[in-house]
Amino acid sequence: MADEFPFEISPMFEGERIRKDGMYAELAGPKSKGFELVRAADMDEVEDGKFTLIGPDISDMEEGSRHPLAMIYKIAGELVEADLESIVERRNHEFQNYIQGFMHLNQRDDVWMRVSKDAVAKGMTSFEAVAKAIMMLFKNELPFIEKVEAIYITDMDEIEKEIENAKAVYKSRDERTRDLHDEDVDTFYGCTLCASFAPTNVCVVTPDRISLCGAINWFDGRAAAKVDPEGPQFAIPKGDVIDAESGEYTGVNEAAKRLSSGEYDRIKLHSFFEYPHTSCGCFEVVGFYIPEVDGIGWVDRDFAGTAPNGLQFSTMAGQTGGGKQVVGFLGVGVNYFRSPKFIQSDGGWDRVVWMPKMLKDKIADSMPEDIREKIATEEDASDVDSLRNFLKGKNHPIIEKWEEEEAEEEEAPEAAAPQEGYATPQMQMPANFMPPMPAMGGGGSGGVKIILKNAKVSIDKVIIKKQD
Amino acid sequence: MSDIPTGHISIDELENVQITIGKIVGAIEKKAMEEGVVVGPTPKPGISDLRDWDYKLLSRYQPVYTPVCDQCCYCTFGKCDLGGNKEGACGINMEAHQARETLLRVITGAAAHAGHGRHILHHLIGIYGHDKPIDVGPSNLLAPNTQAVTGIKPETLGDLEEVMDYVEEQLTQLLATIHAGQEGAAMDFESKILHGGMLDHVGMEVSDLAQVSCMGMPKSDPEAPLVEIGMGCIDSSKPVLLVIGHNVAGVTNIMDYIHDHGLEDKMELAGLCCTAIDMTRYQMDKGGKPHAKVIGTLAKELKMIRSGVPDVIVVDEQCVRADVLDEAKKLSIPVITTNEKIMYGLRNRSKDSPAEIIEDLASGKEAGALILNFDVLGEVAPELAIKMSKIRDEMGIKALPSEEELRELSAKCVQCGACEMDCPDNLPIMEAMKTGAEGDYTKFEYLHDMCIACGRCDQACPKDIPVLNMIEKASQKLIREEKGLMRAGRGQVSDPEIRQEGVNLVLGTTPGIIAMVGCSNYPSGTKDLYTVADEMLKRNYIVVMSGCSAMDLGMYKNEDGETLYEKYPAKFLAGNLINVGSCVSNSHITGTAIKVAAIFAQRQVSGNYEEIADYITNRIGAVGVAWGAYSQKAASIASGCNRLGIPVVVGPHGSKYRRALIGKPYEEEHWKVYDARDGSEMPIPASPEFLLTTAESIEELFPMLAKNCIRPSDNNMGRMIKLTHYMELSQKYLGHMPEDWYKFVRTETDLPLAKREELLKMLEKDHGWEIDWKRKKILSGPTMKSDVSAQPTNVKRLCKGEC
Repeated sequence: MADEFPFEISPMFEGERIRKDGMYAELAGPKSKGFELVRAADMDEVEDGKFTLIGPDISDMEEGSRHPLAMIYKIAGELVEADLESIVERRNHEFQNYIQGFMHLNQRDDVWMRVSKDAVAKGMTSFEAVAKAIMMLFKNELPFIEKVEAIYITDMDEIEKEIENAKAVYKSRDERTRDLHDEDVDTFYGCTLCASFAPTNVCVVTPDRISLCGAINWFDGRAAAKVDPEGPQFAIPKGDVIDAESGEYTGVNEAAKRLSSGEYDRIKLHSFFEYPHTSCGCFEVVGFYIPEVDGIGWVDRDFAGTAPNGLQFSTMAGQTGGGKQVVGFLGVGVNYFRSPKFIQSDGGWDRVVWMPKMLKDKIADSMPEDIREKIATEEDASDVDSLRNFLKGKNHPIIEKWEEEEAEEEEAPEAAAPQEGYATPQMQMPANFMPPMPAMGGGGSGGVKIILKNAKVSIDKVIIKKQD
Repeated sequence: MSDIPTGHISIDELENVQITIGKIVGAIEKKAMEEGVVVGPTPKPGISDLRDWDYKLLSRYQPVYTPVCDQCCYCTFGKCDLGGNKEGACGINMEAHQARETLLRVITGAAAHAGHGRHILHHLIGIYGHDKPIDVGPSNLLAPNTQAVTGIKPETLGDLEEVMDYVEEQLTQLLATIHAGQEGAAMDFESKILHGGMLDHVGMEVSDLAQVSCMGMPKSDPEAPLVEIGMGCIDSSKPVLLVIGHNVAGVTNIMDYIHDHGLEDKMELAGLCCTAIDMTRYQMDKGGKPHAKVIGTLAKELKMIRSGVPDVIVVDEQCVRADVLDEAKKLSIPVITTNEKIMYGLRNRSKDSPAEIIEDLASGKEAGALILNFDVLGEVAPELAIKMSKIRDEMGIKALPSEEELRELSAKCVQCGACEMDCPDNLPIMEAMKTGAEGDYTKFEYLHDMCIACGRCDQACPKDIPVLNMIEKASQKLIREEKGLMRAGRGQVSDPEIRQEGVNLVLGTTPGIIAMVGCSNYPSGTKDLYTVADEMLKRNYIVVMSGCSAMDLGMYKNEDGETLYEKYPAKFLAGNLINVGSCVSNSHITGTAIKVAAIFAQRQVSGNYEEIADYITNRIGAVGVAWGAYSQKAASIASGCNRLGIPVVVGPHGSKYRRALIGKPYEEEHWKVYDARDGSEMPIPASPEFLLTTAESIEELFPMLAKNCIRPSDNNMGRMIKLTHYMELSQKYLGHMPEDWYKFVRTETDLPLAKREELLKMLEKDHGWEIDWKRKKILSGPTMKSDVSAQPTNVKRLCKGEC
């Protein structure tokens, strides 16, 4: 193989740590300044392959010294757009770590890099080679990038000039991500990356719904579909809105039918009880219906205890998955809790009654404030009774539903036919949701024949009577 | 009870009567029905039930035999010379006999685990009862091997008895076929080998489920403690109690006694082989630091005994040297046998009082005792060790030669070479003797590092030079520094862990799973294990250890003085290093693969072995490595992996069975499967290329590992990463690109990222592929297309529309 670069590039160096005594120079990091930024630009604004360095190069740095470092990449191409910047930018972290002797931590304006002594000894004396390697990897992985140029800055004054601009870009990007919703786009993305393991699963990724595994958001899907429209991530035209509340779209239904070979023909993206999204195997959190309180609990992989229904994550996760649409259990990615459309068809957060404390703490800032204290954790409720008491004590909104139901029952005791939608707690549980107790005894009429083999019967006293 | 007449007995009043029923036949099927568990087509398969699957595997991976010995000596119609295509007196031919030899080894290994399983299950049911729940961690699928094979979903210890009944019955059927005048076809012996291997994983699983459930062992715990390992960890100024073997049942009574009597600080409890591993798991499910210490593997047994350090030796079963009693006697170390499998001709003292036994052994009246009562054992062993320590001190036991003697003994050597001829590793003993005669013993230190203490050199020496003792004496400084750390066995990989790692496994960012199993005796000592594991861990493979390999890995430290157990975390995650536990914990490795099928594809597990094996064969990139020697148990474990389509590489010592299962990449008809979506045929890459083969060196091993993690169902990211490591490892260790790399390329996205352009050029120039250079896309060339939704299967009935 040609040795274009004075260092090795391989995913095997991803885990490489450069400690202080092996470090030639430290770049950016908590004791200095720096950032990384990818900007989309017009074709004529980018000179492909160009590298500009403002400030000292690696060879100018003293061993053991610390310097600021900013990395700006300008990308252009027919399919390049601002929405893809963050996807490319995230690759900077991954790809810099592929380089032997170069360590990259964190992201954006928290970046922290180190160059090892060994790498410098082997010839990594200039940022140019590093930047060129990254640009090569960008283009290889994401061929929609037709042109790319890099500007590295190691001059503190220059960085201070630029960093505010970078921060403004991050901010507006975050706002765009936050403000972009299902209704703002006409294309969702399907992901079948896991279909090789979970044959019938189809993930529908939308601005308001991250993939179940948590690894793919709408922007990722968009970037991947641009790279290879026939690849494992592909566009799903949204089609017509059937029901915005529950998230049902003609395009999604058609895709569901096609991709599941006809097994499912409807998927409601934000529904728990009706035509829920299918679940794969690696979802981060599983939701479960608790019929006794008519609420939904959530439990994540890291919680080893049992939920108020007496079941562990693994047991409930075992009920769904493998690409099946199972009513009563739903696998989701953690970030779905941050979606404004979070199970909105079923009452959203008002329907949530329980989750492990660790999970609750993790997403507390995304919860509506008025509900935060009303959702129980394992510290508040370990079984259904204590959960019911907790909800009553905190006046959880679900209580209104209990009252409604009681009132309904009084008014119309015969109206037992399940209705569709929000107010329908009656639902078919999977057959094996709660294993029935094995029937004990076995009376004569059942015709059960019991053969006792090697049974030890200990009896204190036996009274034997002759048959009359 | 003889007063009770036959006929009807009516019982009028039952008061305070408790009837305990051990098991009800048919209850499991009934319960399965009630719970809606569907049992697949082959619950409790007999020898012929999975034969079609075996034949599918064996037609692609054909057996190859290269026998060392052409004779069959099984009966007195013979000896028969089977060389040159001759048949024996019974009509058997060379191929069939070679396969039969392997079958015998495999079922011997499986029986060792199953016998262990039955013993410990019986023992634990005696203490905890039939209804003690199986509790091995936060999993839904508690017994993947058991369930896939038997269809039984065990929930209590009692449920496991039926599982053992099945294993034992099948092992008997298999053993019967070894007899003269039974099976004649090598292919059917091969199928039986796979059957025996499969049974082994069930027997092992039962053993570990039972002991993890009852003995407080870590339950799927990534934070299992680090435990001390090595001869240097032992404080020989204290009384030392040494236990050897694989079955920790009786040893736990000893540990309880030591704990209850506050003897932890007053004595050392050290173990060899898997009993040692399991001692450090005992009562560790709530964390803590084990009091017991691990010396190491079988390869340390003779060294440890001959050091004279142990004051009492307790043995149980498996991998215990046959000469422990003889060796111990020479150094006045009493030996206690505790298991029917090893009794050494000692008198059964199970019913005697501890005081009597201690008296007889301490006075030297008897060299040892058989104690099958574990309560008696629990008291005798530690008390005797304390007593013997003083007695042996006063006796002034001298175990090893002095410096002076070392020189004299070296000078006695006549350089005949008999020792080197007999040494399994042909170690340069004569050189060490030569320099030893001049007072330089450094070459003995080199021997110590490589020597597996089999003692054959002593036997071979015409001058009666105690070679092994000399090696040990000369290496005292090294031995004192022999201190490592091993992660205590964590048990199963739990369902939630699999779901978590699933993201990497499924998306392809974890390139594969490497299971390092088998016994000691590696070509370059424990460093080999370190080198292999470290390289693969750096590359983000999951490395799984068990048994002897798990111990040996803890013995080697890098330049920072760190073992790999300290360097890498122990979750079931990319780049993590896991120790599942002792020999019987090997079942958790195959269990993990079965869980992947159950969790990601919702494949029905119960009694559905073929479908599960088919899923694993086509999807899960796992390779086993048995780099050291390869006992009957190791052969059996590997055969069980093979039936699930998991390939195994053996090292130079493992190759001595001289049997391999090798595919031929150039025979295209063998590299086709069905697409379950429509039953059409699809070509697949030739990987795994073998089910069982040999690597001569670790340099050869590395690219084999990476390549054989490739599976037909890889998505582009997965294939790209696997191919990257395959090409890099080949370049790094063999100095060239692998010849067949391009055969694994389906699209440009399969190509390693950093070299994409260069490789496209090679594809165009060397292989005539058409490239669209503007879009950097491959237009034509690959023989396979990339379709992540394709459903590769070897089994026609699993295709849509077939059933």
